[in-house]
Amino acid sequence: MKDLVIKALDSAVAGGASYADVRGVDTASEALSVRDDTVEALDRVHSSGFGVRVLVDGAWGFACSARLDDREPDRIAATALEVARASATAIARPVELVEEPPHIATWRSPFEKDPFSVALEDKVGLLLSATEQMSNVPGIRVARGTMDLLRQESWFVSSDGADIAQDIVHTAGGLEALAVDGTEVQTRSYPGSFRGHFASAGYELIEEMDLPGNAQRTAEEAVALLSAPSCPSTTTTLVLDGHQVMLQVHESVGHPTELDRVLGMEAAFAGTSFVGIRDAGDLRYGSEHVNITADATIAGGIGSFGYDDEGVEAQRVELIRNGILVGFQTSRETAAAVGASRSNGTMRAEGWENFPLIRMTNINLLPGAGSLDDLISDVDDGIYMATNKSWSIDDKRKNFQFGCEIAWEIKDGKLGRMLKDPRYTGITPEFWGSCDAVAGPEAWKVWGTPNCGKGQPGQTMRVGHGTSPARFRNVTVGVAQ
Amino acid sequence: MTEPGAGLPVTKEDVKRASAQALEIPGADAVEVVVAASATGLTRYAVSQIIQNTVRNETRAYVRVVVGDRVATASTTQLTPDSLARAAERAIEAARASRPDAEFPGLPDPSDVGKADPVFRWDEATAVRTPSDRAVKVREILAASQATNAAGIFETSAHAYGVVSSLGIDCFDAYTRCVTTCLVDNGESTGWGDASSHDFDRVDVEAVARRAAEKAERGRGARDGKPGTYEVVLEPAAVGVLLDYLAYVGMGAKQVIEGESFLASRAGEKVAADGVTVADDVFHPESVGLGFDLEGVPKKRVAVIEGGVAKGPVTDLRTARKLNVDPTGHYSGSSEYGPYASNPVLEPGTMKVEEMISSVADGFLVTRFHYVNVLERPTTLLTGMTRDGTFRIRSGEVAEPVHNFRFAHSVLDALASTRGVGSDVAGFAPEYGSFGSAVAPALHVGEFTFASTTSH
Repeated sequence: MKDLVIKALDSAVAGGASYADVRGVDTASEALSVRDDTVEALDRVHSSGFGVRVLVDGAWGFACSARLDDREPDRIAATALEVARASATAIARPVELVEEPPHIATWRSPFEKDPFSVALEDKVGLLLSATEQMSNVPGIRVARGTMDLLRQESWFVSSDGADIAQDIVHTAGGLEALAVDGTEVQTRSYPGSFRGHFASAGYELIEEMDLPGNAQRTAEEAVALLSAPSCPSTTTTLVLDGHQVMLQVHESVGHPTELDRVLGMEAAFAGTSFVGIRDAGDLRYGSEHVNITADATIAGGIGSFGYDDEGVEAQRVELIRNGILVGFQTSRETAAAVGASRSNGTMRAEGWENFPLIRMTNINLLPGAGSLDDLISDVDDGIYMATNKSWSIDDKRKNFQFGCEIAWEIKDGKLGRMLKDPRYTGITPEFWGSCDAVAGPEAWKVWGTPNCGKGQPGQTMRVGHGTSPARFRNVTVGVAQ
Repeated sequence: MTEPGAGLPVTKEDVKRASAQALEIPGADAVEVVVAASATGLTRYAVSQIIQNTVRNETRAYVRVVVGDRVATASTTQLTPDSLARAAERAIEAARASRPDAEFPGLPDPSDVGKADPVFRWDEATAVRTPSDRAVKVREILAASQATNAAGIFETSAHAYGVVSSLGIDCFDAYTRCVTTCLVDNGESTGWGDASSHDFDRVDVEAVARRAAEKAERGRGARDGKPGTYEVVLEPAAVGVLLDYLAYVGMGAKQVIEGESFLASRAGEKVAADGVTVADDVFHPESVGLGFDLEGVPKKRVAVIEGGVAKGPVTDLRTARKLNVDPTGHYSGSSEYGPYASNPVLEPGTMKVEEMISSVADGFLVTRFHYVNVLERPTTLLTGMTRDGTFRIRSGEVAEPVHNFRFAHSVLDALASTRGVGSDVAGFAPEYGSFGSAVAPALHVGEFTFASTTSH
């Protein structure tokens, strides 16, 4: 692959590209899904190919191929140049890239136990032991366990002289219990919804999660939800667990601070942002408790890497400091729009077959102080919601509605009755402005969401979020119809 | 139906040649190979200039093996006999590590399921379009929009699928697609237009751009609307999204078996107005898809709601056996996700949009929805935002624009209160991926709930 990407780069430069980069990517993944006592899916995926990105006359062109024969680098480079020349017929401002030192480097994500070296029989057996315990709980219709393993090797070369090899391993696992009563369905997941917890880690993650040890409780909560009262519609104090704070950060901070959205480049699809480039330094995004970073350097985050997909070194960037917007996620093309001389390294592409876009790395709500119990103990009357279930937000990222799997009343500083179908709604800056506490480092965890969608053609990206439970005052909850 | 020629990303012979070795791999009792190949050119513009422009050549081969009563799949992007054979070996290794699957019905036997005919929704002129052709179209869009801030795509693509198996399944089909979208932002409001067809010549980019510009202009001066339950006229783009979600939450047999689909408890009941028929129908002239599913079973038209009455779901071999019905040819490629209705069609009625509007005394006109998601699967309760043109209807006429609403409403409830179905349908490509389509007319809905509003 390395020879092939160099050949494509040489061909692109010889063909007239003022800038070119080539990424070769080789991905192996394994997805296991167990339903009750049956292995429902056992899929092994191997994907390899390369993509060529060029600038000609200030316009982008991109082409890619999975064919790895000797003639393909020249053919794909020529196609990328043809595409760029076509683009150049409809541009108002030529693309200019801010400088980045041409890194020559190798980077590997840390892990202890190679998940692909663990026997498949053992992985299947672990999931089946967990689903068996869930299935034994009366009222459970479906007990599902999943495991998702990924290893991605990539090679990046550019006409600036960059030469970067990276090797990333991700591991994920989780449980889901479905309880059904007539026309009502309730779901409970562990440790998070939508295939569990994703991390930049090895098989040690699966062992630490103790899926069998959490199976029965997960299933019992799903069944208990069937007979729980519905979350009331009211305005109250809301405490969110770290998993739901993850989604809240993702949708209402991560996306609005992507600079391509701010500049209108995603307007027709994912939308734009309520934030403008002149808001940095002025806009009150939240209370003084709200401090948020984009950090591609943290351990365990599935948004961590050594270098982004245009060769920019991984960085830690402040987005919100003490509630004030202070930064954006940028690229080499867009950084100059906010007066930056360097990209902060958030360009990422799904596989070899996509043009890199500004994507979240790990967007983190920095910890405050105290525990979840401390947050709850300061609430006379409120609701605690846990585990994201649904999400929707407008095209400028202001009006949102999120739903969780489960909730509990809070009365006089203590958890009370379980509540089902909890939902809450809000307007982004008002909601973050109502945040009066964020739990401390001991409650802080780096979650991962593997299914962030953006771009056309659509790309699915793995992004991380370090969060701890947080408390919000005067929130509208229970909204549905 | 046009036989595909130039521009095919992979031929039937390519599929057979690459698969032959894998189909005879030692150690497997049965083997199936699915090849999906595409060549896609997508030109993306924003702020009235081209910002991204891609040509993607993609091929994936999925090898499913059966070892006794155990099953596993491995895939590769390399369409060579050696690569597919290696994938088969990896799948055999995985199958051996798996557990017996008592519900696996076996791979389809062509003598049982019949031979699938291709749909060939194929236009060669679309398949061979160049980057220059697409750039010309974008320039036409930008000129017609007369906007300094227009955004969208112009895309042409060619797709081919082959399914072969050691039991004799041998299917091949191909389709093309041309999609354009246009959002015009005049600084105060936005408007939307889109078009999709398998035929490049049927996509009128100037009409799409003019429509977006007109919608945006009409949206100037929008104010907050009052949340509540209203009579609404939903344009086809809005209905298309509701159809996609109805297919997602309720039209597949697996959701019925697991109790999550409305069909689990309401089959045979009246769930929609008399004039509402929803089918999965790849044979509809505006649909884009394949004549078989991803295990080579011929695809059937399945009326999931007919004349307002809930019928049955789409099935694959596995779920059909479980429900004791004939398979309808909707295997999605994953037993985990189950059969999928990838070509939902809401059959047209008799009303023009203008007639619908003229019959509304007090309501709203919705251009399209944004970021829709599921709140409750069994009731088909969704939430999402309106976008790019929401207008008050007063005394039968489109009146002032309003800021976008958040809706929270069940698709079935909307269909139950439907007072009119549009006579003209439009085809829509999926938001993600390239598989399937939705075909939708406008709808006049008697009750639709807007829960809150936003600032634009």
